[in-house]
Amino acid sequence: MKQLSKIALLTLTIFSCLILPNQASAKIYIDIDSPSFQQFPIAICDLNNISSGALQSTNIGVTLADEIKKYLSITGIFNILNKNSFLEKMEPGNPDIIEKVYFPDWSLIGADYLLRGNILQKGKQIIVDNRLFDVIRNELIMSKKYTSSSGNQKELAKNIASDILLALTGDEGEFNTKIAFISKSNNSSDIYTIDYDGSNQTKITNHQSLIMSPRWSPDNKYLAFTSFKEGAPKVFIKNLQTGAEKKVSAHEGLNLCGSFSPDGKYLLLTLSKEGIEDIYSLNVETMRLNRLTHSYSIDVSPAWSSDGRQIAFVSNRSGSPQIYVMDADGNNVRRLTYEGNYNTSPSWSPRGNRIAYEGRVYGRYQIFSIDTEGNNLIQLTFDNADNESPSWSPSGRQIAYTSKTASRSRLCIMNANGLNIRILNEKSNPSVMPVWSSRFKK
Amino acid sequence: MKKKITMMGILVVAVFSMTLFLGCAEKKAVVAEGTAQEQPSAAQDAATLSAAAAQEALNDINFDFDRSNIGPAARGIMKANADILLKNRNFNIIVEGHCDERGTSEYNMALGERRAQEAKKYLINLGVDGARMKTISYGEERALDSRSNEEAWAKNRRAHFLIVQ
Repeated sequence: MKQLSKIALLTLTIFSCLILPNQASAKIYIDIDSPSFQQFPIAICDLNNISSGALQSTNIGVTLADEIKKYLSITGIFNILNKNSFLEKMEPGNPDIIEKVYFPDWSLIGADYLLRGNILQKGKQIIVDNRLFDVIRNELIMSKKYTSSSGNQKELAKNIASDILLALTGDEGEFNTKIAFISKSNNSSDIYTIDYDGSNQTKITNHQSLIMSPRWSPDNKYLAFTSFKEGAPKVFIKNLQTGAEKKVSAHEGLNLCGSFSPDGKYLLLTLSKEGIEDIYSLNVETMRLNRLTHSYSIDVSPAWSSDGRQIAFVSNRSGSPQIYVMDADGNNVRRLTYEGNYNTSPSWSPRGNRIAYEGRVYGRYQIFSIDTEGNNLIQLTFDNADNESPSWSPSGRQIAYTSKTASRSRLCIMNANGLNIRILNEKSNPSVMPVWSSRFKK
Repeated sequence: MKKKITMMGILVVAVFSMTLFLGCAEKKAVVAEGTAQEQPSAAQDAATLSAAAAQEALNDINFDFDRSNIGPAARGIMKANADILLKNRNFNIIVEGHCDERGTSEYNMALGERRAQEAKKYLINLGVDGARMKTISYGEERALDSRSNEEAWAKNRRAHFLIVQ
């Protein structure tokens, strides 16, 4: 049995070697990381309904195209062209039109990319056959067929949008992700999750108590958090499938939840059991605790780097809260931020090269990002609100955060460069501490 | 037996604190003064307070923004609080640390704990048995005054001393 899997692994390795060179040379069409990045104009045609009989007159091709547009627009990197501007006349119902593109009609209206497709409804089945074109180069980028049940139109649109993103950027985006956050009301607070598109808000805990610092396990199966439900702040891990909660840290004083290591084996914590708030690493299988910082100061909010080798955290050892970085074993501590006298809530980009955090500017809190050497500081938010708790998306292209004024509290997503802010929800009671999940398996 | 151990514990703590603060003449004086005077006067003031009365008599102390040190204004309050605790040994306390609403909830949770720890340590230095005190931080989550202005913030940055039986 073991040998079999070894052979399988070997085969896979050889196979990957064969296809990898191709992949490596596969063109990434949109470099959204370039400083000059602008939204990319794309034309999405209504899908061409080629069903027979009465089904031909349904507007499913239009509604599906609208769903695809909605998903593409929330990525923040596309400018979806208005279909009223389209020039090329297409003969509806003729399946061949998706291949026959007159490119000048599309470049004239400013489209860089074009999506066309046929949709065929057969009983409860929907079959979509799509073509994605590069208008500038006059070439086909992607051709893909989808089969889906008719009740699952939203999922189908999500998959199509995800494939377009993958073809153009080399990355499937965040469509299958959620954001966990704390919603406060009066004297209690609970964890909620919300889908990337702002739908499906779900209450996860019901402790009738104070809850804070939610953290996803890397496989999205667990949420760790701090709860006061037994009076004092203790750390729990909730199994999101069974709903079972396990108490994992209940030392005297503060037990504050940090973050999971990328392999899911360790959970970072802030404990005050020795009288000083220091950072510890808890092995969640053996429950062995390992102290990482020993300073006579507040050390809090540890965030693991994506490769698991380093940890960013907040310390006031210099007299004010600043962002520091250390090796995963607690050695080699170095200070990262020097601008301002209040910098907290570090979040390490999944791409590894930047850390986002919040800092105080003129009495307001704003989101910044800085590279891991402490250079290239960028301020990302500027409005007259407290913008706090940044959390990177799995692709590293977007950042979730909260934005609070005296009258309202928003959960927002922006591009990593601070542009294209999208409001996920807005409430009168505060939403705090958003944390982005990894991608859920489809 | 238990009492003996507690007494020994107190003695050890006392001796330990004395050695700890040998380098600091001023604080040493405070400790010596505190322990020397309180015990006889506790005996004189035989009328110990009820828990409710003691709770009434214990006062909060306040902190500067992003600070956890016991400032000059708080020292007098802490001395009075220590006196009450030394005269009334029949209850324990929970030292609560609180912050104002500004800044990061998570950092404030740690800052509140730091304030509680500093207050506890200060009471230990004034002779109160550390075993009678636990700490808890509520960060910025339990404001006394929910307004968003300097006056409310100053009130909310506090250590509160909660009597438990």
